Amino acid sequence: MTDTPTLDPDKIKVILATDCGSTTTKAILIQYVDGGYRQTHRGEAPTTVEKPFADVTMGVVNSVTEIGELAGRKLVGDDGRIITPATDTEGCDIYISTSSAGGGLQMMVAGVIAEMTAASAKRAALGAGSIVMDVIAANDGRRPHEQIQRIRDLRPDMILLSGGTDGGTTDKVVQLAELIAPAKPQPRFGSDYEMPIIYAGNNQAQGSVSEVFSEGGFDLQIVDNLRPVLERENLGPARDKIHDIFLEHVMAQAPGYDKLMGWTGAPIMPTPGAVGDILQTVARIQGINVVGVDIGGATTDVFSVFDETFNRTVSANLGMSYSISNVCAEATMPNVLRWVPFDMDERELRNHVKNKMIRPTTIPQTREALMFEQAVAREALRLAYKQHKEFATTLKGVQQQRTVGDTFTQETGGETIVNNMKLDLLVASGGVLSHAPRMHQTAMLLIDAFEPEGITMLAKDSIFMMPHLGVLASVHPKAAEEVFDRDCLIYLGTCVAAAGNVKAGKTAFSWSFNGHSGEIKGGEMDLIDLPLGETATITINPVRGVDLGAGPGKKVEREIKGGTVGVILDGRGRPLALPEERTACQATIQGWIDSCDMYVEEEATAAV
Amino acid sequence: MRIQAAALLACVLSVTGYAPADIAPPGKVKALNAPDDKGNQVEVYWTPSPNDAVPGAIQGYVIYRHKVETGEGLESIPTEWDPDLFAGSEPIGDVPYGVTEFVDENGEPDTTYLYGVAAVTENEQSSVTLASDLVTPRMEWINKGKIWFLIIMLTISGVLIWFVRHAKKGGEVKVRKIAGLEAVSEAVGRATEMGREVLFVPGILDINDIQTVAGITVLSNVARTSAEYDAQLEVPTARSLVMTTARETVQAAYLGAGRPDAYDENRIYYLTDEQFGYTAGVQGKMVRDKPAACFYMGAFYAESLILAETGNSIGAIQVAGTAMPSQLPFFVAACDYTLIGEEFFAASAYLSGDPEQLGSLKGQDVGKVIATFLLVIGCLLATLAGVSGPEKGSDAEPGAFHTSMQDATDYIKQNILGKEGFMVEADRGSFEETEANTGGGGDQ
Amino acid sequence: MAKAYTPGLLVTTHRRHRCRRILPIAGDVNVSKGDQVVADQVVAETSLPGDVNPVNLANQLSMPASDVMDCMVVKEGDTVEIGDTVAQTKGIFGFMKTTIPSKVAGTVETISPVTGQMIVRGAPLPVQVKAYMSGEVVNVLPGEGCEIEADVAYVQGIFGVGGETAGTIKMACQAHDEELDAKHITDDMAGAIIVGGGRMTAQAVERARAVGAAAIVSGGIDDADLKNMLGYDLGVAITGREQLGITVIVTEGFGDIAMAARTFEMLKGFAGQEASVNGATQIRAGVMRPEIIVPLDAAPPASEGSGRYEEGQLEIGRPVRCIRDPHFGVIAEVSGLPSEPAVLGSGSKARVLEVKLPTGEHAVVPRANVELIEE
Repeated sequence: MTDTPTLDPDKIKVILATDCGSTTTKAILIQYVDGGYRQTHRGEAPTTVEKPFADVTMGVVNSVTEIGELAGRKLVGDDGRIITPATDTEGCDIYISTSSAGGGLQMMVAGVIAEMTAASAKRAALGAGSIVMDVIAANDGRRPHEQIQRIRDLRPDMILLSGGTDGGTTDKVVQLAELIAPAKPQPRFGSDYEMPIIYAGNNQAQGSVSEVFSEGGFDLQIVDNLRPVLERENLGPARDKIHDIFLEHVMAQAPGYDKLMGWTGAPIMPTPGAVGDILQTVARIQGINVVGVDIGGATTDVFSVFDETFNRTVSANLGMSYSISNVCAEATMPNVLRWVPFDMDERELRNHVKNKMIRPTTIPQTREALMFEQAVAREALRLAYKQHKEFATTLKGVQQQRTVGDTFTQETGGETIVNNMKLDLLVASGGVLSHAPRMHQTAMLLIDAFEPEGITMLAKDSIFMMPHLGVLASVHPKAAEEVFDRDCLIYLGTCVAAAGNVKAGKTAFSWSFNGHSGEIKGGEMDLIDLPLGETATITINPVRGVDLGAGPGKKVEREIKGGTVGVILDGRGRPLALPEERTACQATIQGWIDSCDMYVEEEATAAV
Repeated sequence: MRIQAAALLACVLSVTGYAPADIAPPGKVKALNAPDDKGNQVEVYWTPSPNDAVPGAIQGYVIYRHKVETGEGLESIPTEWDPDLFAGSEPIGDVPYGVTEFVDENGEPDTTYLYGVAAVTENEQSSVTLASDLVTPRMEWINKGKIWFLIIMLTISGVLIWFVRHAKKGGEVKVRKIAGLEAVSEAVGRATEMGREVLFVPGILDINDIQTVAGITVLSNVARTSAEYDAQLEVPTARSLVMTTARETVQAAYLGAGRPDAYDENRIYYLTDEQFGYTAGVQGKMVRDKPAACFYMGAFYAESLILAETGNSIGAIQVAGTAMPSQLPFFVAACDYTLIGEEFFAASAYLSGDPEQLGSLKGQDVGKVIATFLLVIGCLLATLAGVSGPEKGSDAEPGAFHTSMQDATDYIKQNILGKEGFMVEADRGSFEETEANTGGGGDQ
Repeated sequence: MAKAYTPGLLVTTHRRHRCRRILPIAGDVNVSKGDQVVADQVVAETSLPGDVNPVNLANQLSMPASDVMDCMVVKEGDTVEIGDTVAQTKGIFGFMKTTIPSKVAGTVETISPVTGQMIVRGAPLPVQVKAYMSGEVVNVLPGEGCEIEADVAYVQGIFGVGGETAGTIKMACQAHDEELDAKHITDDMAGAIIVGGGRMTAQAVERARAVGAAAIVSGGIDDADLKNMLGYDLGVAITGREQLGITVIVTEGFGDIAMAARTFEMLKGFAGQEASVNGATQIRAGVMRPEIIVPLDAAPPASEGSGRYEEGQLEIGRPVRCIRDPHFGVIAEVSGLPSEPAVLGSGSKARVLEVKLPTGEHAVVPRANVELIEE
């Protein structure tokens, strides 16, 4: 990372970026064409970090070769290296990469109180793009020997230890250190490497903590307290340290990464960390609240930026292939099947689910199989978002100021900051969402799972380009911004959804834009075309008790953007309720599917 | 002229007095089994003696009772007064003039009686008029007059039982989030993170005060959380008995949390019974040790604001709970969270999550809703009746609306809340009504 | 186009197989390079440090943590039994002393003046690592374990539950598509590795467990049966630690599915021989599949795998198995490899191949939905 050559951004015309995922390595090529940066080609190849290949660069080379073939540009030299700098027909000016291969960055975090410093530590670790394997806290309900056993069983890449405000508790933090030190957790890669421990707790306890870790093969790094007072978080130093250690220790141990690090023109970032960076940037520049989701085979990541507060959660066992069986178990089959408008044999279905789990790479071949997978996806997203809401909260343990007027409106700390009514942009990525045959399906999946309220833009990151752009932003912000604007997000359209007291069959709101107008009744949906790139001003008049953003019964007038799907008017109310009875439920779902053109005949699709 | 004549007559009468033969007996007498009793009451009605119309002409009436034995041959009531019939019987009661009914409460169930009524002056008595029928007091299984109470009680009990069963079956019993109780873990967590103490003040009254008991319930929860978080809990008390109770409670909570070794009874101590001595002691402790969490749960007087202000100034999260209306505003203003009256007492159900307690909490709420509903409806009807009625002093006939409103108000007053039951019964009320119903009538 | 490869499961009559036998923490290795070992031989052992029990003395003595050291009766490294006095206050003039008895047995590891905690470590737990596979020790990793190599026949299953075990292969079914039912399992199969054909029924697994079989291997299993067997719905495919008393391996998948004929014939050929099996499955990054290893006495003369096809390459004429409905489990032959993506019934566009089904029909399936089988 230190040998990064300083590049003049103006001279960068060809950018090659890869993202080494756990199953596939995705490469994109960004070129300077007609006075702007555009993403021009992409390629994919299986990741080769595991045996028998055990060299991540093979997958990278394969994916880059595919791009090279498509672009008619030789990117990989005869020596198997990526050619830099670029000439007219060969190579690229800069190569950058992110990585989540080998399970990404796996961490264990510890803090004194689960809802306070431990939660802050978890936020820091997740924000840096890691997977948090476990959170050890003084009040996590486990006896000390159970905690030690757990630490011993885990094989994290590093440990983040926090606890106590500055000048706060010392003994509790030292107690945590005393649990970790004798447990001697073993790092995942290699036994010759010292377990990195980042201490970001009470500054008064630094000496005692260093003493505890002074022997026994630990590499203790001390940074500023991530919760200097309970009223404020200071996650930056801990997050940066995690990135450093990720590169210095973890990446260096994974097969082939030392080679890959030599190729890149910017430090390799953990994939989710890069996604978080780009979403934060977008939210800041446009002044909006954003929720992003990436549903993968094994895990689902949810990112949110509400009022400039960034949160990320990883739902470890909610995914569409490796974890599909777990989604069905956690959500229960009836909850999954409520989204399917026809009967399915449960015993058969269970076998199908398990077969998908053991052969994760298969894709649905029939319409029915697709509908079922999308039903599972709705439940996975719904559960992941629920977990996210529970995690993304205001700080706990903060003193409140009150007046007598607050007598009957006392609010506690730790309320969720996720507010669907204030959400402006919902970005989807991950196979089942971005590879859905019709974008209408993606849009409906998002609406059914996230239940946005009021007016919300829906978009998808079609080829999961956000990680690449996250890293690019650190090297060449202009290029990143341009590509994000033009190529990264595909706007699906706008969802206009009624919340509040919506009555089935009775008018929920009336709307008008661009000369169209109409009424939406409770329990109904409608889809109106508004092509990509167009905007319109919509006027909505909700009935009494129904809220579309301005308060119950208040008129809303706002600019909306079009997209490949259009404007989806949703009068189903929140939270979404489906009939319990199976046939009624099937009819309801079929009605919604029809009104939003989710599935159309093959010929039509083939023509698209 | 006429007035003068009457006055003259009255004057003459009062001077001469009345001979027995001069006092007319009551016209007709009717004895009825009293409804909705346990079988000991008989109601006796009669038409007044003609002399009763003249004020002071008679003093009142005496009531006689004869226990009718089987085979006595009294199947038909003698029309004439037979002196032997009541031989030896003292009157069972008397009433002043103008009153024409009497309730005999000393009857025996399932015994047949014959009643008679005579009008009396100071030393004279008229002949006795016998009741037209024999009467046998009987016990009724249901007091129909209180049928509304039965309905309300059954409703509330049913709701209570239903909620308890519902909660036991794992059904959701939604209890409004009480911020003050939710904040317990937050406050104790803050103390743990900051390496400071948790201070719990259980009020200044003794354990016989219900607020102190409620405070101890909350203490149990605070202690359990402190044990789990391994925070230091301090409980200064103003009464020795409260100290003992608090120690027991806290020890049990630590044991329950699986950390009996972390319990130290010296942290729960007695300061003084003296109100301001205690306040000064606690306040000094707060200023010196700066606890990060302060709980005030119990009965408080003037010390409320002194404590809460001190706590606020040292930056503690403060949670207060009291049912003292005059102290609530101070707590609300100075504390982070305040449990107000009822919330404070609901704390035990809320914290334990015990289905019985939660269910009964919910059931009681339904009771309160019914009471509130009746109150509101009653007020509304009475107001409407008052507003729609004729002007004061005017002779205008009340409108139909007013009448119906008035009737509804009366129904709530007398039937739902009073003793009338579902509706006015046919065989009750005045003698005239009874007569009209039975078809018999005065033959004067 | 880069290599279009579709990973399949390894099934071979001969390969030089090497397995690493590593202790969870450093310990003693009992074998040396060149030794011949048998499956149940202990090759390395160690003692895991015992459970750790923190004892909060500061609270029990009601004194600040920094004063605890003055009251300690035991010191670091001492062994304590339950009831032994570990600390005692000085009391007043030698009276009113508080003594703290130990509630746990073990060795005093640390006494902290910061927290006032004493950490007592319980008795060590012995850990043994067996050879698992008969063969030759080819490498010793001092203090960690060893590597064992042997000529073996090797079968990878698709999914399994239960851990490592060994036994004699016994055939229960006569054909690769015969359902494995309880009636196929006889009492003499105790300790054996039972090999069936098609789906194994819940009764068959139950019966195998009752007779004390080491493992049961067949083509498929119903998920509902698996759930009943485990007692919970398996969420993620990370297995190997179940305590079922039997190791269960399915070679093809869930539902009614026959074992691949080649696998079946191969296992049939090894009937009566000792084999090692492991049901541990991990379908994640770092994929692990269950395995059946049959050590061979000598390497067969001619190496198998005639080299007709390049490894991992789809070619016309090559047999593949469809691994997704509507043709789930069907073995077909590649009849065409169109390079352009096609639209599937689901509406998705994907790269496909054309296969000839056993019925003679031709079908188009996505490349992702087939897996190669070695013939």
